[in-house]
Amino acid sequence: MKNVRIWFKKDYECRYISHLDLNRTMLRALHKSRIPIWHTEGFNPHPFATFPLPLSLGFRGVNECMDVKLEQDDYSFEEIISKLNECLPRGIRVFDVTEAVMKAGKVAYASFTVRLSDPNTPSKTICLQLEELLSQPSIELQKKSKKGIKTVDIKPGIREYSVKENFDDAQLDIMLSAGSSNNVNPSLIIDALRNAAGVEYYADITRNDLFNSDMEPFR
Amino acid sequence: MVGKEVERLLLKVQKPGRYVGGELNSVIKDKRKVDLRFAFCFPDTYEVGMSHLGMKILYSLFNSVEYIWCERVFAPWVDMEEEMIKHGIPLYALESGDPISDFDFIGFTLQYELSYTNMLNMLKLGGVPVKSADRTELKNIVVAGGPCACNPEPVADFIDLFFIGEGEEVDLEVMELFRKCRAEGKSKAEFLRLSANIEGVYVPSLYDVEYNEDGTIKSFVPKDGAPAVIRKRLMKKMDESFYPDNFVVPLVEIVHDRAVQEIFRGCIRGCRFCQAGFIYRPVREKSPDTINSQCRALCQNTGYDEVSLSSLSSSDYSRIVPLLEKLTSWTGEEKVSISLPSLRVDGFTDEIMNKIKTVRKSGLTFAPEAGSQRMRDVINKNVRQDELMNTCATAFAGGWTTVKLYFMIGLPTETMDDVADIANLGQAVVDTYYRTPNRAKGKSVRVTVSASSFVPKPFTPFQWEPQDTIPVLHEKQQHIKDSITSKKIQFNYHDADTSYLEAVFARGDRRLCKAMELACERGFHFDGWNDCFSLEKWLEIFDECGIDPAFYANRRRSFDEILPWDHIDYGVTKSFLKKECERAYNSQTTPHCRLKCSGCGAAKYGEGVCFEKRENLV
Repeated sequence: MKNVRIWFKKDYECRYISHLDLNRTMLRALHKSRIPIWHTEGFNPHPFATFPLPLSLGFRGVNECMDVKLEQDDYSFEEIISKLNECLPRGIRVFDVTEAVMKAGKVAYASFTVRLSDPNTPSKTICLQLEELLSQPSIELQKKSKKGIKTVDIKPGIREYSVKENFDDAQLDIMLSAGSSNNVNPSLIIDALRNAAGVEYYADITRNDLFNSDMEPFR
Repeated sequence: MVGKEVERLLLKVQKPGRYVGGELNSVIKDKRKVDLRFAFCFPDTYEVGMSHLGMKILYSLFNSVEYIWCERVFAPWVDMEEEMIKHGIPLYALESGDPISDFDFIGFTLQYELSYTNMLNMLKLGGVPVKSADRTELKNIVVAGGPCACNPEPVADFIDLFFIGEGEEVDLEVMELFRKCRAEGKSKAEFLRLSANIEGVYVPSLYDVEYNEDGTIKSFVPKDGAPAVIRKRLMKKMDESFYPDNFVVPLVEIVHDRAVQEIFRGCIRGCRFCQAGFIYRPVREKSPDTINSQCRALCQNTGYDEVSLSSLSSSDYSRIVPLLEKLTSWTGEEKVSISLPSLRVDGFTDEIMNKIKTVRKSGLTFAPEAGSQRMRDVINKNVRQDELMNTCATAFAGGWTTVKLYFMIGLPTETMDDVADIANLGQAVVDTYYRTPNRAKGKSVRVTVSASSFVPKPFTPFQWEPQDTIPVLHEKQQHIKDSITSKKIQFNYHDADTSYLEAVFARGDRRLCKAMELACERGFHFDGWNDCFSLEKWLEIFDECGIDPAFYANRRRSFDEILPWDHIDYGVTKSFLKKECERAYNSQTTPHCRLKCSGCGAAKYGEGVCFEKRENLV
């Protein structure tokens, strides 16, 4: 038995499916592909797969990963790539398979590209609003949780960022803390911007890479 | 592939994965290289429509023809509809993202009456005129099929042509004719006239209806050479009939998210309330070998790990045990589970139970339909109480602890005692549990009793019957509630208001089209969903149109009356239905097709159960 990490892109139509739906789609593809994956041994055996960091509905993911247990240690990684791609919808493309170098729990940061646009607002204006918002000493937001509404400050979860004006949108490249604790979802920044500017911008969000706490790329 | 304008809306609506297409096995063709584009519309949400087997069969079949590109269209949920209207985005097909007004054919499957307003709303959202008469060119031909097409009259003004019966052959014949007509520069009127000569095609505009003073139909006259009687089409050899080896695998979870394998069409039973039991006659089975190989291909091509065997009554499949043996020879190894829905009370044997148990234990559902034996005889259910108790005991001994029981209220001749017996039957099941010695240890039993309201349907022996009025149905629901004493029984009932509207549409005539049109103008949609349905608003419309809904729902019709669907022939004769209705009044049952032929008329197709050897007969 070998732990392997399957790397894929989630884009196009598949951008619009939830993590649960992604999970279902992946399990079905694994089942169809007949790759020798370890199955759960309960009453309804199914392929066992875990995702180090779920991706929100609507986000593109260019460097996403999923962990499975391979039952044949010498099974070719190339074969996994080609077989899975045959069984997946066109919006999900596997591009690499590696050994799981770091433990899934080591994910501590994630980098995103957020492109904001609005038919009635010049990109420059959005850029200025972004700069202003992100330079505040704290960015407080009401966050709904099971225990009710609480106020959180997302500023400590923001690492470096840069804002760039494009022809038809404002581009924010940002590194945010990620993982099971202190996760900052970039949609919170959009929410904060809406609170500040009073406009709901269309946001095209891509998650680029995951990192560990030493800012090494997650492998 | 949807456009940028649509993408901008997707993050504002619930479950956007419903509106993007791009699923595994969806068919993409080059639109410049096909001759004919067919928009297959299901007048309900994606999750409901994608679960429908008929659509899967026809989608694959149409796309197997080189010159046809068939795409899927579903009704957007109310949030998406609102956004689309606000941003001027017309209803589009999922494969190409093109608006439905670009299509040569716009086809609807009519599965239930309460989806009629969705059908009109979808045309409206697509920018296609809803009335057939307002679409004058040879394009956007609106066609419809499915069980509700057996009484096409309430939607006759909107549909250019109906497919009567099974669509595998007739649909393609009509498309071929369209291709020819267009090449020859013929008009829409000419195309419709020619198509009416194809067996199984009904063109409502080619018929004139006159009414008597009492509102009943006086005459129904064909013109321009249209046939006086429209005969249904059916597939005679199920083993040779087209079946997809591949389904579109949805990206989001749908209602029935599994592979579905059809095992036979029709039903031998003849329960007198059941339309499907008559319009799909005669029973035609697939062989175990065909089912087995189709099933395996389907699982391999979709990646589904669950397959459901589909029919109107799975335990009536004549070779069920050999079939299950064949299937279980590979399903365990390939980690596929089989589910067997639509089991009859008398069909749940130890042997079947053990076969299902090897893979997945789902809940058990039975439909005794009525509480008292007299009532079950009236509806020809042919299930006895002791059979139900034996079955439940078998299940309880096998480890099951929950049973769902389905009933109907408002059946012809029903009394309050019959209604109370629904509760009594539920109690008897609870008692059976505690009498079963080897039941699951330390577990309590849960019995769910569900009661829906009877809706009289065309082509059944009860097609002449009045539906109970809403107050009477409410009284009966309350009576069941009051008669249940055990906490182990959970009682659900179906809203009587929707059943009333269903009854109006099911046996309506062309005069209802006016009300439909008005409902469409007022933005009615999703009548089958409680969040959208309002009987009050419908009653207002009926009132404005001078229509008395009780005339359709609550009136006892005479055997001599010309019924709105009398010109349609489903094989089962009116005289047989009348005889069955009279037998119901006398609480006389009728044996099923394998025991004895009752001469319903379906034997004229020369196939199926009518020509099986009856081994039970000496």
